[in-house]
Parts: sequence; structure tokens; C-alpha cells
Amino acid sequence: MDKSRQVIVMCLITHMGLIFFLYPADIIASLSVGQWSAVLFGFICHVSMVAVYTKGLSYCAPRNVIDLFQSAGNAFAFLALLPLAIYFVMMIIITVRAYAEIVTVIFLGNTPLWTIMLLFLAVSTLISSWGVESLFRTAMLVALLFFPFLILVIVLSFQNADWHYLLPLMDRKAASFSYVFHRPYLQSMFAFVGGFLFLGFIPSHVPYQRRKIVWFSFVLLPFFLISVYVPLLTFGENTASKFPFPFIMAVDTVDVSWLMFDRVTMFFMISLLCFVILFLALVKWEMLLLLRRALPAAKAPAVSVLLAVFVFIVCLLVPNWSAVEQMLWWNTYLRLYAAFVIPLVTFALGFSRRRKEAIES
Amino acid sequence: MNLPAFLMSRQNLDSDLFLHPTILTDQPVVLAGYNSQIDLPQTIALLRQMALNAASADKPPFDPSSGIGTPMNDPGEREILDAIAAGQMLIFSYAGDRCMKLVPVHRTLSRAIEAPTTENVLRGAISAFNEDLDTNIGLVKKHFSSEKLRLRSYALGGDQRRRTALLYMEGQIHEQLLQSIVRKIEALPDRDVPDLEALSDLLGFSKWTLITRYNTTELPQEAASALARGKAVLLLDRFPFALVLPSLVSDLFVSQSDRNFPVFFKFSFQVLRVLGVLTNVLLPGLYVALVSVNPEVLRIEIALSIAGSREGVPYPALVETLLLLLILELTLESTIRLPKTIGPTITMVGGIILGQAVVQANLVSNVLIIILAASTIANFTVIGFQNTTSLRLYKYLLLFLSAMFGVLGLFVGIVVICAYLGQVSTFGIPYLSRWKAGRRYG
Repeated sequence: MDKSRQVIVMCLITHMGLIFFLYPADIIASLSVGQWSAVLFGFICHVSMVAVYTKGLSYCAPRNVIDLFQSAGNAFAFLALLPLAIYFVMMIIITVRAYAEIVTVIFLGNTPLWTIMLLFLAVSTLISSWGVESLFRTAMLVALLFFPFLILVIVLSFQNADWHYLLPLMDRKAASFSYVFHRPYLQSMFAFVGGFLFLGFIPSHVPYQRRKIVWFSFVLLPFFLISVYVPLLTFGENTASKFPFPFIMAVDTVDVSWLMFDRVTMFFMISLLCFVILFLALVKWEMLLLLRRALPAAKAPAVSVLLAVFVFIVCLLVPNWSAVEQMLWWNTYLRLYAAFVIPLVTFALGFSRRRKEAIES
Repeated sequence: MNLPAFLMSRQNLDSDLFLHPTILTDQPVVLAGYNSQIDLPQTIALLRQMALNAASADKPPFDPSSGIGTPMNDPGEREILDAIAAGQMLIFSYAGDRCMKLVPVHRTLSRAIEAPTTENVLRGAISAFNEDLDTNIGLVKKHFSSEKLRLRSYALGGDQRRRTALLYMEGQIHEQLLQSIVRKIEALPDRDVPDLEALSDLLGFSKWTLITRYNTTELPQEAASALARGKAVLLLDRFPFALVLPSLVSDLFVSQSDRNFPVFFKFSFQVLRVLGVLTNVLLPGLYVALVSVNPEVLRIEIALSIAGSREGVPYPALVETLLLLLILELTLESTIRLPKTIGPTITMVGGIILGQAVVQANLVSNVLIIILAASTIANFTVIGFQNTTSLRLYKYLLLFLSAMFGVLGLFVGIVVICAYLGQVSTFGIPYLSRWKAGRRYG
């Protein structure tokens, strides 16, 4: 049975969780005019990499990325996948630490940081230990419950928009793409990568259509644009660039007189945090697949718990927000590796495999 | 084996066992069976009639073609005991050298077909299952008259044989599901199945599950519609419910009798049930989260009025909620145990007197009473009593998480519950799947 719908929903959810918190600040910091070009450029890279990656995977159909890399030799697989594994672990650490910080900053001021990190890790470990199929089903149910709500808040977030802030549309910097290699922009790739790599790890008994995934990626584009433009339209570029979480600030200005709740944003943010937890569970599951292939003797639940404990300890050692940003920056090289090298190598390996099979037959 | 002597000795252990000498077309014979199961005078009248018919056709009574009962050739002890335990009557000659068994006129030991006691039907067939397996099978067949209906029956258990029937629709049922059930049942035919816990053990379900893997229904109509949709139905003797396998999340919200209403009403009932589940599970947690951890989320007027109603309440919101929830659970549990005539008293004492007094004594706030009452009422919008119990449990998980992490805890709790539901599967069919006959939806 075709599971495309579940895979698409998972894809959407993981990206949605990542878009609205850090991404707008990075984009606004990297450009003062014509942010749409930055969003669009990043998005085009994203979609093309998804297309290349899924094409490569479709060439070697029932195998996953690990099988594919191993077919080119164990040493090669180890060397090529090691950075990916490190990237995954770092991503779990950064995500847990950063989002726990966001939670304490925005609405749980009195709760100690470690309890929130523990909650994130415990829940994501639990979900990942139940396997990817149940994770997908969970994603469907969670999306069904939370999505209508998110859409409502997103629609409401335009309440204070001043469309004059949209102009000017372009300047020299935006047109020359000179922002691309600067730190904030490279950091903003955080929202794109990671969310689609799981496509290569899906076992063959969960079939999906790669074309649908690529097409449905375009559903994300409005969300990327909204996350950047709602704060811009609400506050203007000068003010928006001062906030650590511009989108959330923008939604916080929304006042709905007919609702009994004063801060609709809170429910919005928490829904997104739940998506992030699913994302964490997904990355943990990918990580466990890699680990178990590298160490076949390792027992699944034990490795999973050990990994969570390790992440927890590292998270405790991260002292403050600037350290988190530093880690996000260090992770950039690995992120670029995961975003570009892995899909391209997958494509190349898949393509050569396909050719070899064609010659043999 | 000396049959008369064996039965005589057996009579000392079983005073219920009768040995009744009589004469059948000039032949002295003895009838044996259980008094509690056999209507002896009626049976004898019937037997006489059959014997007369046999005699007029020149067949001696113990002849296989006489038409009186089934001859038993040199039966063993086990065979004899099984036959009389199953409610059959033995007829044997004085010397005990010839013997046969006969299906007698039974005493009526089952209630008649009545209206359901645990499920209400507004529009639709009202007849419900009772304790007699054959009646139940008959009811299903009446509601599902199709030549594709298949039936497999088993006798499970070592010490007490319990008859069990598995019904399914040929061509509709998911083949893997059928094979799994049959394999599980046939693998352990000697396991006693006194209750559903033992049955789920036999079928290989975990003891610690929070979701019942089979839906129980009292209505033949529901069982028939489940069959038509390709599910399997298990009927147990002396159990007035049909077990429908597998149970899916849609069983919480969709009932067959909804289809007797126009589509719009049907749809709105289902939406109401979903809302009911959400209200029931979320409200107590939301109250605790908003009162004790994230009061700034509420509009200031509402926050003040809730704070005002909590004035003088000595406990934190969590303890307050738990106290009242405990009383509600006790009320629920006691109304189930009590006879119907005393039940309303509990409603009055629990609902009116206790609710009023507890507020006046400043033990809990007004708002909490409203919230818990709404949540308890919402609990029962779900179809099937067995489903309400698991919902009652989820409420507590959300309550504790909310007390610790506020609204975040509440939402994370929902994710955990969703993940749990996503993880449960019955014979490889996920609980969250959309069911289409014969196909698997994940």
C-alpha cells in the first residue's frame, strides 16, 4: 500500500517545526531588502536536492541509503556516513538545547531548563523506539489535530500587516546573491536540511512515490515566505531585525477579541514544538539505524537510551544561548555536507548501479 | 467398562446425575443425564414417540437406523462424561452392553432475546445477544444472511470446554488476519478461556495494553456490519457480547446505527464524539495548566474570575483536581455496582449534595466542578463502554504533565498519546488504519 501521504505529512511537519523559530531571524539578518530572493534561493536548492536525492534512491529501489553506500565498499560507507552521523547527533543536541531555551524564554520562565530537555528527549526516545511506521502514523494524527489550528493562527497573524513594508523588492545585494556565503544565511539552511534526509532511510515495506514528495515540497514555500514576511510586514525591517524570534513576536501582537485566550501564540508555538519532538524522534531513529549498522551487536533499546543520555549530558554542558549559536555555526559544514554531498553521492551511486544493471541484463 | 456401575459410582460424586429406568418398546433401558440440564418428562414423551415410530418400522431401538439418538460403540469414560457434560442424555440397556446418546429436550437456561443493556439504540434493530452461543450465531446469521458467511467453531479449554465460534465473510476478510487468528486459536486448544483476559492472552496480546484489541458489542447489527466490512467476529458461549477483531480508532466514533440517520446528522454525531473525546481528555489538564503554570495565556477577565473562584481553596490546582476526579471515579464505579433502583440516589448525593457542599466548604473551586462535570459527561459520548475506560486513563497522564510543564506538558501529552495509538497494532493491522475490506491501510 502506498504510504506517500504519511511520508509527505512527516516531511511537512518536520519542516514546519523548524521554520518558524530561528529561520526568520537568520534571513532578516542576512538581507535588509528583498528577503524573498534569499528564501526562494534556499528553497530552490532544497527542492532540487530533494529531487536529486529521491531520484538516486529510486534507482536503487528497495535499498536504503546505508545499503547503497555499503554496496560501494564498507570503508567508503563508513567514511561517507560518519559526518552524517555526527551531523545527526549535533542536530539532536542543538535542537533539544535551543528549543528548551526558547521554551524557558517564552513561556516557562520558572521551570528549570534540564527538565524541559529531559521531557523532549524522553518523549522523542519513546516515540523513536516504536519504529518509523508508528512514527508516521503519529505524525498523521498529530497533523490532523494541530494543523487546522496552525492555519488559523497563521491567517490571523496578518492582522497587523502593513503592506507598504513589502517594498522595495530588490537591491544590489539581493540581486548579486552576495549574502549566500555569509554566516546568517548559511545558518538559515538549518530549516531545510535534516527534514528530508529521512527519505533515504525509509524501509522498503513503506513505499512512497518520489514525484509526489517533490511536488508537495512546494507546499512549504508559502510557509517559508510567511515566516519571514509576517514580522517584516508587522514591524518593518529595522525593528524585526532586533528580535531573536521575529515571527513569534509578530504573532504575539495579534489580538482576537472573541477568543477566551489572550495569547494564541502560545498554542501555536507549542504545536510547533510538538512537531519538533516528532522531528527529534525521526532523527533519533535515523541515528539508531546508522549506529546499529556500524555496531551490529548493540541492542536497540539500550543504544537508544544511551544516545539520549549522551545528548542530555552534552546539552547540560552547553552554558548559554551564544554557545548554542556557536554550535549551530560549527555545524554548518556538516550541514552543507548533509545537504549537498549526501544527495549527490546517492544520485551518483544509484545512477552507476542502474547502468551496471542495464549492461548486465 | 461396566457402564451401569460406572454411572452409579459417578452418582455419588454428582447428585445431579439421574439414572432413570424405563421401558422402551418392551425393552428395559436406563436413561442417564443431568437433571439440571434435561427436561426429563418432555424428553421421555419424545423418546416414547420415537420408539413407537421405530417399532412400527420394525427397527429395534438400539439399531443405528432406528432414528433414536446416536449409537456409541464401547465408549470410554471420557466420552461418556463429555457427552453428559454437554447436556446430552444416555440411553443404555440394563446390562450396559449397548448405549447411545440423544439430544434431549433441554431446560431453558438462557434468557430470551432482549433489548441491549449496555448499548442504546435509537434507530435500528434492538435485539441483543444473550448467553447462548447458538442463539447468538443465529442472530448474526439473521442480520447477515449471505452465503459468504463462514463459521469455524472450536471447543477451547482443558477442564471446562468452552465453545467458541469464529465468523467471517469469505472474500472480504483480510487473509492474513484470518490466518493469524486461526493459528493462534488452534495452537493452544487446551488453554482455558474463562474470561477475556485469558482470551487476549491466547491471542497473544500484551497484558499491559491500554487499548482493547477487540471491540465488544451487544448488537447483532453491529457484528453483522463488522463482518460485511471484512472484520472477524468471535462469539463465546455464555458471553453475551460479540468480539470484533481488529478494533480500530474509528470504532470509537462510528456506529452502524448512525447510518439510519441522514448523512448530515450522521456526520455531526461523529464530530460530536470526536469533540467529546478531546474535551474529556484535555479539559482537566488544561485547567491545571492554566491555573497553576501558565495563567498569562488566559484573557485577564477570565483569569481573574477563575482566581476569584479559587479564593480560599487551600490546595494547589493539581491536588484539587485529583481529589474531585477521585470522587467522580468512585461515583462512576459505585453506580455500576449498585442495583438500578438505588443508582439515582448516588446521582443525587454525589452530584447535588456533594458538589454543592464541596464548593461551599471552599475545598474546590466552582470552575473545577463545571470542568470535571463537562469532562465526565463528554467521556461517554464515545461508543462502547470498554473505550471509555482507556480514555479515563489518558486524562491522568495529561493532568500530571500539565502540572509539571503547563500547556507544553498538555500538548506533549497529546503527542505521547497519539504515538501510543500509532504504535498499537492487532495482527499487523495498525490501530490508526483506515479500514477497507480486504485491503490494508496504514
